[in-house]
Amino acid sequence: MLLNPLTLHLPKTSLEAARLYKELEDSKVLAGGTFLLNSMKLLKVKGTKTARNILSLAKVDELKGVSLQGDTLTIRAMTRINDLLETQLPDGHLKVLHTVCTNISTNPIRNMATFGGNLTCRYTWTEMGAVMIALEAKMHFLGADGKEEIIGAEDFFKNAARSEKLFTHVTIKTRMAACAAYRRVKKTVHVDVPLLAICMKTEIKGKQWYNTRVGINNGVAFAQRDLALEEFLNKSSSSPDLGKEALEHLTTAIYDTRSSDYKKHMFRVSLKSAIEEISLSS
Amino acid sequence: MDVNLTINKKQITLNLKGNETLLEVLRDHLSLTGTKTACQESECGTCTVIIDGNATLSCITLAANVQGTEITSIEGLAQGDVLHPVQQAFIDYGSVQCGFCIPGMIMSSVALLEKNPEPTQKEVEYALDGNICRCAGYPKIFEAVHAAGKKMKK
Repeated sequence: MLLNPLTLHLPKTSLEAARLYKELEDSKVLAGGTFLLNSMKLLKVKGTKTARNILSLAKVDELKGVSLQGDTLTIRAMTRINDLLETQLPDGHLKVLHTVCTNISTNPIRNMATFGGNLTCRYTWTEMGAVMIALEAKMHFLGADGKEEIIGAEDFFKNAARSEKLFTHVTIKTRMAACAAYRRVKKTVHVDVPLLAICMKTEIKGKQWYNTRVGINNGVAFAQRDLALEEFLNKSSSSPDLGKEALEHLTTAIYDTRSSDYKKHMFRVSLKSAIEEISLSS
Repeated sequence: MDVNLTINKKQITLNLKGNETLLEVLRDHLSLTGTKTACQESECGTCTVIIDGNATLSCITLAANVQGTEITSIEGLAQGDVLHPVQQAFIDYGSVQCGFCIPGMIMSSVALLEKNPEPTQKEVEYALDGNICRCAGYPKIFEAVHAAGKKMKK
């Protein structure tokens, strides 16, 4: 067998799962399995010990699905990437979620991988982190005592994507005046090894940008905001030259950390084209 | 632990360990060796089966985790001696070279065509993007998928 011996726990409710999450020692949460099981196989090959207890969320139906109530979109942790892709989303900036999902890995992986797994697997490279930061998502966690805790996506990643509670869902406000753009770059054309991702959301009145959020994943650190770029864009108006001008106002440390010249270049190309896309749409 | 699985419309109870993957169970416990073992790390698609209508990689699926689902392996497609339209089309269109990737290709194609029997070329490529053919026989595979879709629609 390619996996070390383990005990599989299959709770049926989110509260039962939250309690097990707190109680079980030497444990990992199994969502879609596309990241966890592969890394456990790899660790076994290297002779490294792997988690003895696996807490599977596969049977917790209340953690599945997407819903829209009033001005709030809820995406539950066990929603698979292809399910999110097939969900009708409101017009505006939330359509960017479809762009993100389309670009994740391959079809069978999209059939298995979950939204929550992508967000909380603590791998510095995942797609959803930068997107949730840009969309100002609130992340909801459930404690063993049944109490809910709500944390902004930005704070979650500042805390190195750690929580002692079980992640259950995100909520995102559906601002109709907002627009968003997403860029993801691979290392090579043929092999889907991700290099970087950016997600940008803004609201536009006339041509003036405000409430802009720029989420960056440089693949080295957890997803983060570029505050300097946001500040510049919030003082700007849409124009053909905005993308080019914005490149003078980047927080360079985010883009330069362990980056090759190619990666730095692709960051600039991606940021410029995302800004141009939003400018054109306004 | 006792695990109840529904594989190719048959209900089976097996005594399994928690760390056994669906691929290991299909091949080693049930001798359903049509599902192939290759990369074992979700890269190649040869282990693709259909779970609840979706193409799924059995190498990264824990068998005990898919209790209560409908699992179809390549052995579950034919009706007696009559091949599934996708299997027949792969023969008719000469889509098989070394053949190792073909069970996975067929399972991904069936999952696609059950939902969308008239896919565009782009949709076929997108649905099969997780299945790698080392012989690079993609054009004939795509032809077969389109032809099978037309037959399934009828």
